[in-house]
Amino acid sequence: QKLRAGLIPQVTEGRRWLLIDAKKEVLGRLASKLAIVLMGKDKPTYSPNKDEGDICVVINAKHITYTGGWKLKNKVYYWHTGYIGHLKQIKLNHMIERDPTLPLRKAVFRMMPRNRLHRRRMLKLRVFADERHPFDDKPLVPWTMPPRNIRKPRIYVPRSIKLARRKLAEREAAAAAAAAAAAESEGDGGTAKEGVDRPQ
Amino acid sequence: VLELAKGFRGKKVHRIARDRVAKALEHSYRDRRRKKRDFHKLWITRIGAAARLHGLGYSEFMHGLNRQKVELNRQLLANMAILDPDSFKSLADSVSSLPPLKVSLLMPFFLFF
Repeated sequence: QKLRAGLIPQVTEGRRWLLIDAKKEVLGRLASKLAIVLMGKDKPTYSPNKDEGDICVVINAKHITYTGGWKLKNKVYYWHTGYIGHLKQIKLNHMIERDPTLPLRKAVFRMMPRNRLHRRRMLKLRVFADERHPFDDKPLVPWTMPPRNIRKPRIYVPRSIKLARRKLAEREAAAAAAAAAAAESEGDGGTAKEGVDRPQ
Repeated sequence: VLELAKGFRGKKVHRIARDRVAKALEHSYRDRRRKKRDFHKLWITRIGAAARLHGLGYSEFMHGLNRQKVELNRQLLANMAILDPDSFKSLADSVSSLPPLKVSLLMPFFLFF
């Protein structure tokens, strides 16, 4: 696999060079943040007619995670060559074999607005499968994704088990309360246990 | 009409120029209204980006400003974010130091019954 720095025909002054490690990042979430950075929308000097986003060098693209058990085998990328009947398709696992940088690049390409700056903005994204990249002489600033709330998975617990657990907890709480009450007060009449009315 | 057609590509003959000039005037009418919308959008984007640099989002930032009865308009805020980032930062700090509102979520539910 050749490492190509590629020609950057636009001005690189005033743009930061960002180094992004894609290891264990989810493809789509990383791609959406990359698109924002490439467009320059995270800067207060954003201007839709100017192409002033930062240059992103992404490494470790082959260690990107693809969520969902079906995607590696069943996600299909389609394209049409222009000749009739020639709708081509390729699955994600084959695409990764061919060129592991392609899924990320396509994702970012498709997340940016389709206008005259579309391709120019894509030129600022350089994706590399490994950790090696030919940009060692540039002032690369590492960039991390903003923190993300990962939802806890909802585990289905049958109702009977939930009720049983609650009863146990109630009993223990009552026992603890009774023990505490007995320790504090002596001979105080049986305290009425206030049970919380739970809707059945 | 031909004077209005200055700068048009090739169509300086009266018959053709008439139509193109009519279209151009339509566009300018429409776009004078659109310009206001476009700039408003741009200012909002810029304010949002600047607020994110301070850990807030556009919505939180504007909400905080409204709570403090700061009525600066978005044009000013956007320019401030670019040219005078220190004052913008002080605004952002004033927003983040506001105590959070206690929103009572029970009221709307009672209204359903």
